[in-house]
Amino acid sequence: MQDGTLTGKARSPGGTGKVMIELHRVEKWFDDFQALKAVDLQVGFRETVVVCGPSGSGKSTLIRCINRLEEHDRGRIVVDGTPVSDDLRDIQEIRRETGMVFQSFNLFPHLTILENITLAPMHVRHRPRKEAAAHAMELLERVQIPDQANKYPGQLSGGQQQRAAIARALAMEPKVMLFDEPTSALDPEMIKEVLDVMEELAESGMTMICVTHEMGFARHVADRVVFMAEGSIVEVNTPEALFTDPQEERTKLFLSQIL
Amino acid sequence: MAAPSAPPGPETAATPPERRVTPARWLRENLFSSPSNSLLTLITGLLLAWALVSFGRFLLITGRWDIIEVNLTNFMVGGFPRGQLARLWVAMAMMTIAVTISAGITSATAAEAAIAADRDPSVTVRERVQRAGPPLVLLFVMIVFVRTWLPLALLAGVLVLGVGGFRVGRRLPARWRGRAGIGAVLLIVVALTAISSFGGVSRDAWGGLLLTVYYTVGSLLLAFPIGVALALGRRSSLPVVRAGCGIFIEFFRGSPLIALLFVGWLILPFFLPVGFPTPDLVTRALIIFVLFTSAYVAEIVRGGLQSIPRGQLEAAQALGLSPWKQTRLVILPQALRNVIPALVGQAISLYKDTTLVLIIGQIELLAVAQNVTQQEAFIGQGYIAETLVFVSLIYWVGSYWMSRESQRLEARLGVGTR
Repeated sequence: MQDGTLTGKARSPGGTGKVMIELHRVEKWFDDFQALKAVDLQVGFRETVVVCGPSGSGKSTLIRCINRLEEHDRGRIVVDGTPVSDDLRDIQEIRRETGMVFQSFNLFPHLTILENITLAPMHVRHRPRKEAAAHAMELLERVQIPDQANKYPGQLSGGQQQRAAIARALAMEPKVMLFDEPTSALDPEMIKEVLDVMEELAESGMTMICVTHEMGFARHVADRVVFMAEGSIVEVNTPEALFTDPQEERTKLFLSQIL
Repeated sequence: MAAPSAPPGPETAATPPERRVTPARWLRENLFSSPSNSLLTLITGLLLAWALVSFGRFLLITGRWDIIEVNLTNFMVGGFPRGQLARLWVAMAMMTIAVTISAGITSATAAEAAIAADRDPSVTVRERVQRAGPPLVLLFVMIVFVRTWLPLALLAGVLVLGVGGFRVGRRLPARWRGRAGIGAVLLIVVALTAISSFGGVSRDAWGGLLLTVYYTVGSLLLAFPIGVALALGRRSSLPVVRAGCGIFIEFFRGSPLIALLFVGWLILPFFLPVGFPTPDLVTRALIIFVLFTSAYVAEIVRGGLQSIPRGQLEAAQALGLSPWKQTRLVILPQALRNVIPALVGQAISLYKDTTLVLIIGQIELLAVAQNVTQQEAFIGQGYIAETLVFVSLIYWVGSYWMSRESQRLEARLGVGTR
């Protein structure tokens, strides 16, 4: 197994060299099944990392450990200097600074799109309603669905819902964005509108980890691509190097199957 | 691509095909589609006609409604001292104001929400009539039976107050709404105190519809928050809280209500600390109703909590909401919305279960219906049908009204569509 951190340091994107997320020998078990095996990864400030791999390889578990939707069993995870631990205050601190976008959107169906977006700023950051709503409208402009503000999630298409979910995560002004297969539940013609928003976000300098099967997006937008299989990081490299000249047999096999 | 010219492909009509159903065709399709169906229709029709005619005869010709007329006050308040009735009218006026102002505020908020969501906020006349229908039927029946002008005048006064309260509530500036809500609750407490305290009438002397409504509304208002708390407690991560709530729920769900009422009547006073004033019997029965109903509410709400997909909780967590706010802002509103039909079913069930206090010697509405037939003027003349039909109407109006309002609430919250 190649050491992820080495290639990470070899290339420090954004030019700052500051480490935003650090995973050190992280292990995660579901009963007797080991989902993550001594995973090492560093993600730099303003870097976009795409995580790919076959299903069941631990990609989603990896990013869900970062904001403690899953509890890791061994190893150390540090997000912007705050360790992910049992301390509820640390967890809340990390969740405030980390936005997450889910495969199934998970918008709150009883609230309008605008209320979905203003909920956390008002109740976590204690922003006044007017200020939160104005910021929410800016974000809806950014993801290009301002005219959906007063509708309910059920009235929107899948692509619109996912863009609204991105706006909801951005409303907390996070330093890191985690994407958990954001386009896997979408019809093909809606995938692009979501990927466009993500690309714009990456270009604006957001630190991002994206679990996705969209290899076009990975090639185009990612600074580095992480390939995982069976709970381990097999290979980490620039998209160009990984796609054209994979070093590991497992990577070659995977790429031959999906490309 | 979206050229304004004719779309490609075969020509299609601009509107869906018209489907007209004439009355004759409707009859043929639904009632006389085959010989056996025709026969069934005929038999059912005859039975229905017979039932309607005999009930109509009873209502209009053979029924001796003088027993209701004479005892109307008994039906309404039971043995409540007649000299103190003024207290009830004052309390009724205060509660009407409190309730209608709140209703006006709710109506204004709903209209604002509709405007914000680009929907038409107006309410059609048909909707208004449908909503007001059941209470108006009851009001009409009452007016038919009232023999003196004073109650009519007072009733009219209360109605005027109600309409006024609704209007005030609708026009109240948004910043006063919270305070008006608190004011309404205080007004209801003051109204209840005005009946029973300061030289008033002890609850044990209450009866009839007054007692039935007191039990129903009082237990629902108290049992609902307790039930929600129990449901959340039963899902708590703390084992002690979880076990405590579980035992409470299973105990009260596993006991017959009648047995619990006996406990409240006979045994509860012995468990109170020495020197602690024993609450009156009505309060003890109310406590039993609250405990019993809250156990059922808890299980209904727990079902609602379980119906919320895990992703909702994860999304709330990922946004950094505190555990309490995850529950209060995201999970609970959706869970409660999903169980409105079951909760209203429980409310209607409780409304009718209040008749059980009859066995601990309290004269609520149904007991009045039985007792008045034993009066000298009516005994042994088979008046029971008239009184039972009358109280059935009151129970039906209440149950039907709850059911209708819950359907409206479901529609407003968009159950099943959002």
